[in-house]
Amino acid sequence: MTTTTLDREALQAKFAEKFPEAETIGAPAEGSAPTELKGYLTVRFPDGERLLAALRWLKEDLGFAYLDMISAVDWKGPVDIDGYIRDPNPNVFLPDGATPQVQLPVANKTVAYRDAVELVYLLSHLDAKIKVCLKLDVPRDGGSAPSAIGVFKSADWQEREIFDLFGVAFLNHPNLSKILTPDFLKGHPLRKDYKHQKDRFDD
Amino acid sequence: MTDKPSESDKPDEAKKEEAPAAKPAPAKPPAKPPVKELPKPVFNEHPTHPAYQGRASRLLHANRMAPNRVWEDKWRLPRYRNGAIMLAGILGGLTVGAVLIDRFGMTVWMKLWNTLFAVLGRVAAAAGASADSVAAAKAFAETSPWIWSPLKVILVLHVILVAPIFLVWWERKISAHMQSRFGPMYVGWFHGVLQTVADGIKLLLKENIQPASADSWVHRLAPAVVCFPAILAFAPVSFGGDLIAADIDVSVVYIFAMAGISVVGIMMAGWGSGNKYSLLGGLRSAAQLVSYELPRGFAIMPVIMFAGSLSLVRIADAQSGTWFGFVPRWFIFYPVVGQLSFLIFLIASVAETNRTPFDIPEAESELVAGFHTEYSGMRFSLFFLAEYAYMLLACLLMSAFFFGGGNPPLPGLDFVPGWYWFLGKTMALVFLFMWFRWTFPRLRVDRVMDLCWKFLLPWSFANIAFAGLYLLF
Amino acid sequence: MTETAADNKPKLKSDQMFINLGPQHPSTHGVLRIGLTIEGEIIVNAVPDVGYLHRGTEKLAEIRGYHHCVVLSDRWDYLNAMGNNMVFCMAAEKLMGVEVPERAQQLRVLMLELNRIASHLLFFGTYGIDIGAFTAFLHAFREREMVLDLFEMVCGARMTYNYIRLGGVMKELPKEWLDRCREFVPFFKKRLAEYDDLLSFNPIFLDRTKTVGAVGGKEALAWGWSGPNLRASGVPYDMRKFQPYSSYEKFDFEIPVGKDGSCWDRYYCRVREMHESLKIVEQVLGGLPEGPILGKGVAKVPKAPPGETYAAIEGARGDLGIHLVSDGNMSPYRLHVKAPSFINLQILQEMLVGQKISDVVAILGSIDIVLGEVDR
Repeated sequence: MTTTTLDREALQAKFAEKFPEAETIGAPAEGSAPTELKGYLTVRFPDGERLLAALRWLKEDLGFAYLDMISAVDWKGPVDIDGYIRDPNPNVFLPDGATPQVQLPVANKTVAYRDAVELVYLLSHLDAKIKVCLKLDVPRDGGSAPSAIGVFKSADWQEREIFDLFGVAFLNHPNLSKILTPDFLKGHPLRKDYKHQKDRFDD
Repeated sequence: MTDKPSESDKPDEAKKEEAPAAKPAPAKPPAKPPVKELPKPVFNEHPTHPAYQGRASRLLHANRMAPNRVWEDKWRLPRYRNGAIMLAGILGGLTVGAVLIDRFGMTVWMKLWNTLFAVLGRVAAAAGASADSVAAAKAFAETSPWIWSPLKVILVLHVILVAPIFLVWWERKISAHMQSRFGPMYVGWFHGVLQTVADGIKLLLKENIQPASADSWVHRLAPAVVCFPAILAFAPVSFGGDLIAADIDVSVVYIFAMAGISVVGIMMAGWGSGNKYSLLGGLRSAAQLVSYELPRGFAIMPVIMFAGSLSLVRIADAQSGTWFGFVPRWFIFYPVVGQLSFLIFLIASVAETNRTPFDIPEAESELVAGFHTEYSGMRFSLFFLAEYAYMLLACLLMSAFFFGGGNPPLPGLDFVPGWYWFLGKTMALVFLFMWFRWTFPRLRVDRVMDLCWKFLLPWSFANIAFAGLYLLF
Repeated sequence: MTETAADNKPKLKSDQMFINLGPQHPSTHGVLRIGLTIEGEIIVNAVPDVGYLHRGTEKLAEIRGYHHCVVLSDRWDYLNAMGNNMVFCMAAEKLMGVEVPERAQQLRVLMLELNRIASHLLFFGTYGIDIGAFTAFLHAFREREMVLDLFEMVCGARMTYNYIRLGGVMKELPKEWLDRCREFVPFFKKRLAEYDDLLSFNPIFLDRTKTVGAVGGKEALAWGWSGPNLRASGVPYDMRKFQPYSSYEKFDFEIPVGKDGSCWDRYYCRVREMHESLKIVEQVLGGLPEGPILGKGVAKVPKAPPGETYAAIEGARGDLGIHLVSDGNMSPYRLHVKAPSFINLQILQEMLVGQKISDVVAILGSIDIVLGEVDR
């Protein structure tokens, strides 16, 4: 079950054998989406079922017992300034006409923005001291992914957080509801096109 | 950071100066208000700044030293040495004062008394009354129970009213020093002795809030029902030779009966607050108090068996004298039985007075708030008055039952009056109570009950059996 | 705040009561609300409700430069602020390819371990108060004041240090700092022995904590636990040994591992960790190399090349990680914080069921959460 001779190449070979449709990523090619998690073996999956199968396989067959994190990245483009309540230039003591400290982000032509939310799963093997990263692109509107809660119980709140902040639904999650944002907040704040609605706490 | 300001301002000013010269000046832009200078923050100043000259801040800053330097060579610190000398001086002074009062107190008092009546006689003679009536008045005042009994009652009442002032201050000082801080230092001339008085005045000035859903009369009466028996329970306690309000034959039973009445007051407090959490807390507290009355009573049985009487005075007298010339005949020194009795009574008393480690009702960090949540102002402080009174009572009882109450530890120390020894032993036990509070964590409620019913009670029964065996041989 | 309180609560039977533990309660863990449904003394349902301290730092980071984000990071786990700074700087340095000089690395280790000591001291004190021993709190804070004085000497702040910066540390140590630190070490060793006498082996404390909250190793891993909680359940997972960072591999220290994962084990694991941190501090003080404290290659307005990375350290609460995505601008494109307290807290919805109310405080205290990290 747990093998301590697991290193990056061996793992890559195992992935190629078991999930041939998954794309194992090395260094990003010129013009492609910069998608390798630097330093770790990154595998991108085309759909959710295979990702779930991979999670189960990694946990039960290969012994990756620890889910480090589930994260999400909205690849739409640079963030919309209307999503913020206050002026992002944090220094109020600069006089008028001075260069603001914060330059708003602009689109970078070498980065492949796309209309998807990318889910990033990171698993650790405690004995072999290796981590592996699995990725999945989910469409921004109405996208959904299978919930990993059946495999790792720690996915529970992390998936709720991603649902709350990005709007990605997780199927078969027992309690998919808002966790961090207040009840009156509508919308998903960490999306790049989120616009802040004035609520009762704004002056 | 950019240094644009100087560059961008200059062109503006240059333009402003040029414009009026070029053409008739239009309405000038309103002048910017002058930038106010922010006041310099005081906390950056050196401690000799005038803001730091108050007594409290002197205490704070003069004593601020890294802990490791204090703890390594504390005897080299002048204030540590002075503190120890002061403590020794206070204790010595109290002892000397007690001896002197014992020796000369009565004569001085009789002199004053007679002088008073001589003066009264002269005043009466001037007013035309006869000398006999003055003598009769004097005799009446000296012997009549109508004068002395109310006086004794008032004295006993004042014990319970004055003692918490000292005890609360002492508790705060003890807890502070155990926690490497100072405690009250500011109020009062010496180390904050008037702190409790100030707190009492503050509590009296507070509004007595009564929750709307409270049962109004029950809510109001509960503090009184808790406090009144506490006062009454002090009646048969003898503070020395004749300083006893009521020398009853069954004083032990009387005291325990009075302590039991307070439980009703606690339940009234829990119910009368109209709050389900207070009710739960009150019931828990009442259960704890009622349960621990049993080991308390049974632990005293051997003492009563040895002394052959229920009266506190007789029990204390039964412990006079010594074995082998230097070991006092205190009940605690009786093999096994004495120590076991003492320990059971001690633990049960700590539980009876709701002190840590048994202070679930008062615990702030537990979920259930406790029976005294809905009380404010003096009513709140009455509960704590009762707690300190019961703690003092428990320590007085322990001194009387186990430590000889009035008898000196060594036979040669007879010149120090009995009441001094009694109070000294009591205060040592009060210190023990306070030490427990600030050292031990809290027991869980069900463990408290387990301790009582499954441990203390069986051992107290066994203790009675041991005492019986002891008496047999 | 969540809508689940109404959804998740079962239909209350007539003898069940619904109590809110928090968001303001005397056991100082921050603003956390747990909705408990109790039947008598036993808890039937527990719904933890987080989000009271959600400040949206992950969204704010998308508009702030990297140096500003270091300041933001201070406020996640504010008791372990050096750790937050460290993990963010590690992630950004990995992306930008910045080398941190040797002296800066060891200074970082020094500050991280001192911060771990301070954080565990606070845990020790507040756990004592939760259980009812008031004196432990004051003693722990007396020592914590010394550590905070050291931090104030080096960077001017007592809580949000902003000392570990991109490429190294902010400032060189003041002249007398090393001497003060050397004075602190033996003094604290003696005090640690006192803490054991005062609280750790006290029978009442053992009775209160050893009998509750047992979590096995497999279950802890399934719930994603990390840090002293996981080590108390028997799994020897410590980021400092798993993937040593910032010259930790040079120092000789052990990781304390518990046996049965009860509250007492978690508590004692942290007490032992203070011993180990002190060992590391001693070793660093013994051989701090000379050199620059800031690496080269960090611009005033740094821009990371497009890419993404994950960096993790062993924070005081557990395995603290940062997932940083950059698209070449001066702000990160996405900053995700893997907060150990957030993940450690999930277990409450299962673990509290069947416990008594009096044990809730003991269990919650032993997990040692900081709401700044849970809510970000």
